[in-house]
Amino acid sequence: MRLLTHNMQACNIKGVTNGFPFRVEAEEVMEKQVDFNADFLRNLFPKIEWKALVEASRAMGYHELPDEADSSLLDSDDFLQKFHRALPQLHLEEGAFVCPETGRKFPTALIKCI
Amino acid sequence: MLFSVARKRRCCTKFLGTRIYPSCNLCTMECHAQLSVSTTQTLKCTSSSNVQSTPEIEKKYVHRVYDAIAPHFSATRFAKWPKVASFLSSLNSGSLVLDAGCGNGKYLGLVPSCYFIGCDISAPLINICADRGYEVVVADAVNLPYRSCFGDAVISIAVLHHLSTEERRKRAVCELIRVVKRGGLVLITVWAKEQEDKTLLNKWTPLSDKYVEEWIGPSSPRVRSLSSSKLQSIPEMEENALGEPLKDSKDMSGLKLQETPTPSCEEGSNLEMGSESGSIGQNQQEFFVPWHLPYHRAEVSGASATALANGLAKKDDKKGAVVYNRYYHVFSEGELERLVSHMSNAVIVDQFYDKSNWCIVLQKTL
Repeated sequence: MRLLTHNMQACNIKGVTNGFPFRVEAEEVMEKQVDFNADFLRNLFPKIEWKALVEASRAMGYHELPDEADSSLLDSDDFLQKFHRALPQLHLEEGAFVCPETGRKFPTALIKCI
Repeated sequence: MLFSVARKRRCCTKFLGTRIYPSCNLCTMECHAQLSVSTTQTLKCTSSSNVQSTPEIEKKYVHRVYDAIAPHFSATRFAKWPKVASFLSSLNSGSLVLDAGCGNGKYLGLVPSCYFIGCDISAPLINICADRGYEVVVADAVNLPYRSCFGDAVISIAVLHHLSTEERRKRAVCELIRVVKRGGLVLITVWAKEQEDKTLLNKWTPLSDKYVEEWIGPSSPRVRSLSSSKLQSIPEMEENALGEPLKDSKDMSGLKLQETPTPSCEEGSNLEMGSESGSIGQNQQEFFVPWHLPYHRAEVSGASATALANGLAKKDDKKGAVVYNRYYHVFSEGELERLVSHMSNAVIVDQFYDKSNWCIVLQKTL
C-alpha cells in the first residue's frame, strides 16, 4: 500500500473519535519506480495531510521529508523528488496499520483481504 | 470485515485554510474537529449502529453471493460504461478518486492522470484488485474508512441497489458526500425499475415480503423455477477474459444481464410476472436476480457446495450452473433524486437515465 493511500485512510471502528492517521508498523518496504510527474505532485500536495505523511514515511525508513512543508517548496526540484519517492513509490508490503486511538492492529494482509 | 461501525471523524479541508464540518443532516455520525470551538455547525446525531448493521438479506444475497461468484463475475466485468468513463475523464489531472464498491477494479486506473483508490465489501473481489496492483481495501459502503473531504471525486457504480433499506441507502450517500472535498463530485448509478427490456423483470424473483423465509427456502413451492429463463448476452461484441469474442448463445449463461442491455424505445410499464409468483404489483422494487455460475467454476470455488447445502443456491442441470440469487432494490424514476435531495451539503449537477440505470452527479457544497 502506498503512502498516498495511507494518507486517506481512517479507522472507523465503533467508538473511535479520531482514527486518522493510522500509525504504520513496517516489516517490509519496497520502492517501485513510477515516472516523475511534477504537475501531478503539485496537484496532490494540497490534498495531503503532511504530518501524517512524514510520520508514516519515517516509520517506513524514509527520513528525507521535512517536518513541515508549504506550497513554496513546490518550486524546489529537490523537494519534489523527495516527495515523489515517498508518495507514489514507497510501498508497505508487509506490516500493519495501527489505529491511533485504540491501538488495534490491521496487518497489511488483512487490509487487502480477510 | 475489517472496518466496522464508524462514530466520529475529523473533517478537514486543508487547501481552504479553514476546517469545515460536514452539514449533512442525515449523517448519523458526529463530527468533532479538534478545532475552534467557535464553529457551531454540528451534525444531528442519531444512533448509527442500526443503519450500519448489515441485514441478513444482504449478508446472504449480496455479500456471500459475490464472494462465491467473484472470479466469474470479474471475468464478465470488462466493458467500461461510457458515461462513467467520460465522468472520470472530465476530472482534473491529479484528482484523487475513490471507487466505493469497486468490484473487480474495472474503473481503477482508467484515467492515468488521476489517482484511484477503491473499496468493496467482497474480499475475493478486493483480492482480484490487489493482484492487479490497485490500492484497495475491504470496506462497507455505509461506513467508508477514509478521512472526510479527502477526495476530488467518488463513484458508486451499481452499488446502492444492493442496500435493503432506505436508511442504509441514505447513509451510503452521506458517506459518499462526506469523503469528497468541498466542490468534489459524486457519481451514483443504480439499476432502474424501468428496464429498457421489460422482459428482464420476468427473469427476476420478486420479494413479496422482505425477508420472508418462504421465498428463500429451497423447498418452497413459491420459489420461481429459473430453468425456464433464458439469459441474454451482452449485445456488443466484446472479448471475454480469454480474448475470444463473445457470441449470443447458451454458452453465455453466466453473463450479467444488466450492464449493457439492448436499448429499447418501447414505452409501457406492465410487468408481467409468472404464475408461480402470483400477481406482482407495479410498485414492486425488491427482487432476486439470478447469477448462473457454471459448474466448472463452482467446483473451483468450493463455496458453492456450502451454498447448495444451505439452500443459498440451486443447481440447474440444464444450464450446467449453480444459480445464486442477488438481492436488488431497483430504483424507480425520481427515487434517486429524492434520496439525495435531502442532503444539505450537496447539490445535483446532473441526472440521467442510461442503459436501464438511473444516474446522478452531485457536487458537495459545504
